[in-house]
Amino acid sequence: MRILKHKTNIDFLKYRRAAMFLSSLGNIAILVGIAVFGFNFGVDFAGGTLVEVQFSEAVVDQSIREAGTQGGLADFQVQSIGTREDNTFLLRVGGTTQLTEAHAAHVEASLRKQAEVKSFYADLGNGLLNLRTAEKMDAQALSQTAGTSEAAVKEVRELGESQSGGFDYQIVFSGMAEKVQTALKVGMAKQTFEIRRVDYVGPQVGKQLRNKGVAALVYAALSIIVYVAFRFDFKFGPGALVSMLHDVLMASGYYLLTQREFNLTAIAALLTVVGYSINDTIVIYDRIREEMARFKGKPFSEIINLSINETLSRTILTGGVTALSLIGLLIFGVGEIFDFAAAMLVGIVVGTYSSIFVASPVTLWFEKYLGKDKKAKPA
Amino acid sequence: MKLGSGWWTRLVIILLVTLLSLWFLVPSYYSLFVLERKDRNKLEALEKVLPWWAPPARYRLSLGLDLQGGVYMIMRVDTKTALMKRTDRRSVQISTLLKEKKEKQLEAVVVESLPEQRQIRLTAKDAAMAALAEKELLEAFADFEVALREEASFTLQLKASEARRFETEALEQALLVVRQRIDKWGVAEVDLRKLGSDSIQVSLPGHDNPEQARDLIGKTAQLEFILVDEDYPNFFAELYNKEPPAPELGIELSSGTLVAKEGQAILDYVAGKVPEERVVLLECEMTQASPEVAANPEASKATSGCNRYLAYLLEKTVSMTGDSLASADVVQGERGQIVVSLSFDAQGTKEFAELTTQHAASAEKRGRRLAIVLDGNVYSAPVLQVPIKDGRAQISNNSDMRPQEQQFADAKMLALVLKTGAMPAPVSVGESRQVGASLGDELIKKGSLAAVVGLLLVVLFMAIYYKVTGLVADVALLLNGLLILAGLAVFGATLTLPGIAGFVLTLGMAVDANVLINERIREELDRGNVARVAVDKGYDRAFWTIFDAHITTLFAAIILFMTGTGPIRGFATTLIIGISASLFTAIVVTRLITTYLIHGRGAKTISI
Repeated sequence: MRILKHKTNIDFLKYRRAAMFLSSLGNIAILVGIAVFGFNFGVDFAGGTLVEVQFSEAVVDQSIREAGTQGGLADFQVQSIGTREDNTFLLRVGGTTQLTEAHAAHVEASLRKQAEVKSFYADLGNGLLNLRTAEKMDAQALSQTAGTSEAAVKEVRELGESQSGGFDYQIVFSGMAEKVQTALKVGMAKQTFEIRRVDYVGPQVGKQLRNKGVAALVYAALSIIVYVAFRFDFKFGPGALVSMLHDVLMASGYYLLTQREFNLTAIAALLTVVGYSINDTIVIYDRIREEMARFKGKPFSEIINLSINETLSRTILTGGVTALSLIGLLIFGVGEIFDFAAAMLVGIVVGTYSSIFVASPVTLWFEKYLGKDKKAKPA
Repeated sequence: MKLGSGWWTRLVIILLVTLLSLWFLVPSYYSLFVLERKDRNKLEALEKVLPWWAPPARYRLSLGLDLQGGVYMIMRVDTKTALMKRTDRRSVQISTLLKEKKEKQLEAVVVESLPEQRQIRLTAKDAAMAALAEKELLEAFADFEVALREEASFTLQLKASEARRFETEALEQALLVVRQRIDKWGVAEVDLRKLGSDSIQVSLPGHDNPEQARDLIGKTAQLEFILVDEDYPNFFAELYNKEPPAPELGIELSSGTLVAKEGQAILDYVAGKVPEERVVLLECEMTQASPEVAANPEASKATSGCNRYLAYLLEKTVSMTGDSLASADVVQGERGQIVVSLSFDAQGTKEFAELTTQHAASAEKRGRRLAIVLDGNVYSAPVLQVPIKDGRAQISNNSDMRPQEQQFADAKMLALVLKTGAMPAPVSVGESRQVGASLGDELIKKGSLAAVVGLLLVVLFMAIYYKVTGLVADVALLLNGLLILAGLAVFGATLTLPGIAGFVLTLGMAVDANVLINERIREELDRGNVARVAVDKGYDRAFWTIFDAHITTLFAAIILFMTGTGPIRGFATTLIIGISASLFTAIVVTRLITTYLIHGRGAKTISI
């Protein structure tokens, strides 16, 4: 069985201007889209709390949103995942604990009215207030002073008498995940639900993860280009780089258009697209190198066309088979794994296209440019 | 036509690799399908059920937290705040020192702390006085250097090397405290690792209480000095003889105290029997693990290496707390022995002088023992030998006959404990991921289903498209899957959901190598070559293409591995092993089978 019954002889380079135009248009549109709308950064990068809830009966996301708003959740997002029968939702809230800077200041002020406070330290990241008072305090009373409906107190810990005089207490505030749970219990009292997953990422870590993700993409790109330049020829480097950037941008377009969560798994998907894109391009380059040795003196553009035609069935087949392996993930994958497979699929389709229509024309253009340079030099 | 001896060698190698892979998957099989769910993370339980011929239990594929449920946390040690505190503290010590130098009239120097910059600014009356103060201070505080000099003022700054050392220590201190607290829960398996220069990664597979996990960082560890009881010298022995503990608790009486493998057993046994105003605390004795743990704490799987626990009967009142401790270090004593030296600040010196004067050894009585307690755990209980008035004490163990390096490791640990109490660095949760067990089960089911469906589709397609040669590629593909799983098991890797996705994708891409070879063979056949020549040429020509393509993908995978954390790392590991395995199966295995079909059976044509 063969997909291409006969040897093809298509002049791919003829379409290079049209292809370049389309690709540039697509890339620019995505870049503009990123600048204007931006990705829907997940908690991995933006920081915050993510709660996955499964309801036992069918629920519309509007009612979850209402329950959240009533429960005082700010910056609250609801997204349905899986199929409709799964009744599963991802709820996202900014922040990790219910203790805010303003609330800590408020608690400090009202405590100072009641007692002599020797020291007061708010650990916002963990939702903790550490304080030392001159006189012994009642834990119950402390809890009432510090807690409101907006910022619930989970526990007041009595840490005992301090050596240097005074009594130490630690007020522990509830986490955002609990606030979400309470909001759902109150707002959707008729439903039973199960909290299946809770992720929270502090803002600093989020920033760090984002930098790391971008760094990973840049390092991967650079190391591959260096390898290509070393193994092949310098003129192949830019073509591989351009087509790779092209593919990654297009694949990231999936996350942009769907506004699905852009998280660490998305970075993994994009990096895999990098690997796939380069893999696909290398095979054609390899053939070009081989044919260049075989047909010395033949115009470079003819060699490129010949090589693309010779490897065409392989290019299509590999793309098809890799896409085939993703089908299982597309059917059974839920949430981020589905997104991973979908973004990969985009990457495979675009990667197959780009190794034919982007990588080789850029190489041709670069060869011409270098050639002119060489001609201009000797005198 | 015959197959050469090279062919037979290769066949033997492939069969050996296959058998070896199967063998390495034995622990994984027992861990996932034989063991009960609750024992899944216990290496000892796995060790027990494994047959004698199986590889060691550590070569097993464990499930990631996302697949079996559990808590994953990254804790950040706030070294910046700790450094600021240290600068502040030094500035207080500096002004105390300057006030003492009345004869040189240095008390007039104004000390100003700039904690944000880790600097202390000193302003004197004139340049001569500044120079004098500078000389005095640099002598007394070697960890600071002069950053800026103006006429009558100068600025001291914490040395960069000191700051780095301090950061490393702060991280180790935090690790110590976190490990201890987890130990107290008795969790089956905990994985604690240093991450970068300021973070600790905690994985608690199967654990479903994130609130308890948050208690890890709840309060800062408290260092306390508590006198060992002297009114009930035979408390443990009498209790042991009067009410012997149940033998299954494993509690024994050894040199007047209780000893057990499980600390909790001792605490349960003595509960309610402790005299008024007394408390029982434990020391974790690490006779074997200690040097390695101290030398390489990042790798320690935190069942802490506590060999056994020792009980202490202590007074209930705390004699001194750690905040007045200024420094602690391991030094060489006068006779070359290993000594932990510590010094107190002004307030601490006064308190320690009182304490030692009252309780140290004298002509009429023996010195009392003072227990060093961090976070409720006893680390050492040295005897107070002489009254110490200058706030500089030394702890040595003259009867210690163990090898030097072990003594040194213990001393280092004790110094670390003391430093932890003197200057705790605040720890906060940077990231926490908690997955319920039911979600994990569902993800395993869906993940494996997705993998099987993907694999089946690819296998079917290859068989239909390339017929016999396609079936050969399928054999290679299945072997590839086996090799990936075995590879993951050998590295003791963790299977995560992104890892499963990586597995599926790798299989898809592994087929690429066979597609390349087969298309090349078809080309050679189209050029009119006979099957035998076409196969040889096809493999030879495709080799470098496959090699280049694999290497470039490998780059992406390695970088993903180096920069990724948690589940993403699992994905990268799978990808790396998969790419390496695919090189082997596509080039060596399929070639062997195809050569057999063509050369061995003398076939003139090839089904492709």
